[in-house]
Amino acid sequence: MQENPPVSPPRNLFELFTGFLSIGARSFGGVMPWAHRVMVEERRWLTPADFTETIGLCQFLPGPNIGNSSIVLGKRWFGVRGALAAFLGLMVLPFIWVMALGVLYADYSFNPTVRAFVTGIGVTGAGLFIGTAVKLGRELVRKPVALALVAVCFAAVGVGRISMYFVLPVMFAVSLFAARRNWL
Amino acid sequence: MILLELAMWFALLSLIAFGGMPAVMPEMQRLVVDVNGWATPAEFIQLFAVGQAAPGPNVLIVSLIGWKVAGLAGALVALFAVCGPTAVLAWWVSGLWERFKDAPWRHAIGRAIAPLVVGLILASGFVLASPAGPDWRTWLIAGAAAAAFLATRVNPLWILAAGGAAGTFML
Repeated sequence: MQENPPVSPPRNLFELFTGFLSIGARSFGGVMPWAHRVMVEERRWLTPADFTETIGLCQFLPGPNIGNSSIVLGKRWFGVRGALAAFLGLMVLPFIWVMALGVLYADYSFNPTVRAFVTGIGVTGAGLFIGTAVKLGRELVRKPVALALVAVCFAAVGVGRISMYFVLPVMFAVSLFAARRNWL
Repeated sequence: MILLELAMWFALLSLIAFGGMPAVMPEMQRLVVDVNGWATPAEFIQLFAVGQAAPGPNVLIVSLIGWKVAGLAGALVALFAVCGPTAVLAWWVSGLWERFKDAPWRHAIGRAIAPLVVGLILASGFVLASPAGPDWRTWLIAGAAAAAFLATRVNPLWILAAGGAAGTFML
């Protein structure tokens, strides 16, 4: 076993900002792995357990998970200013990137080949969502009630196109009932 | 006032985004395409694609929509609208979360949310994989991408690139 230096939080706002900047700048293909690499492995701000716990909280909350975790961690270390520094650090470079790509694409979107390429990327992104759902769903395989809930949610929102503002409260009530009965 | 409308719709959307942005894509498509007519279904999938191809949180698709609707101001308003309300929520709840670490209701809620999130992300994948209605070609690309994602550990960016290449031949 290699001896690791102890975990210590960022020393100042600038360090916090640049840490999140480097997460945002490099996170091609998904932010979570880079968040882990920067905060747990490179800068050693957090233990792996701490990281998992924070992500767990943010998956439990609505809204962009990684955006929320920048708020939670920034707050923990430097209060309001920390939350803002972490959030802005995370978002500023990807925002510029995505705007630049959007502008570039707008210039070429009349071209059918470019359009087919970009649509291909889009449906591939859809496939990655499906893969993610399967990965998350593996933990539920032995729970028939959970699988039924997955199926109903999918059918209602994906196939039936019923609004989530209706589906979510109803399904959450049912699911909470099932959870309290220890069916999940 | 278009900026106000953007802010309202995206703030509202963020509050039901349990499971993050991937879980609310069908609802986002509805509000952007059907309710407000800010984009056609084909444009929506292309904005989604641009968002996927850039680095960073996938929430940035809302900036592309905001930009299409109202330029740079729209992009910024949409981003802050979708992040703001839940950021405030995260700020508040993170304290409680520590305090109720071992409370049974916390675990019950966690277990209750999990299957819903899986079903909703699956629904998002399905809706986005059919940008112009049912089409075996887009389903094939999406299915292959899901399989590659599950079977290998390659950076998803390469899977996206391969999917784009497949798109130029098939679509």
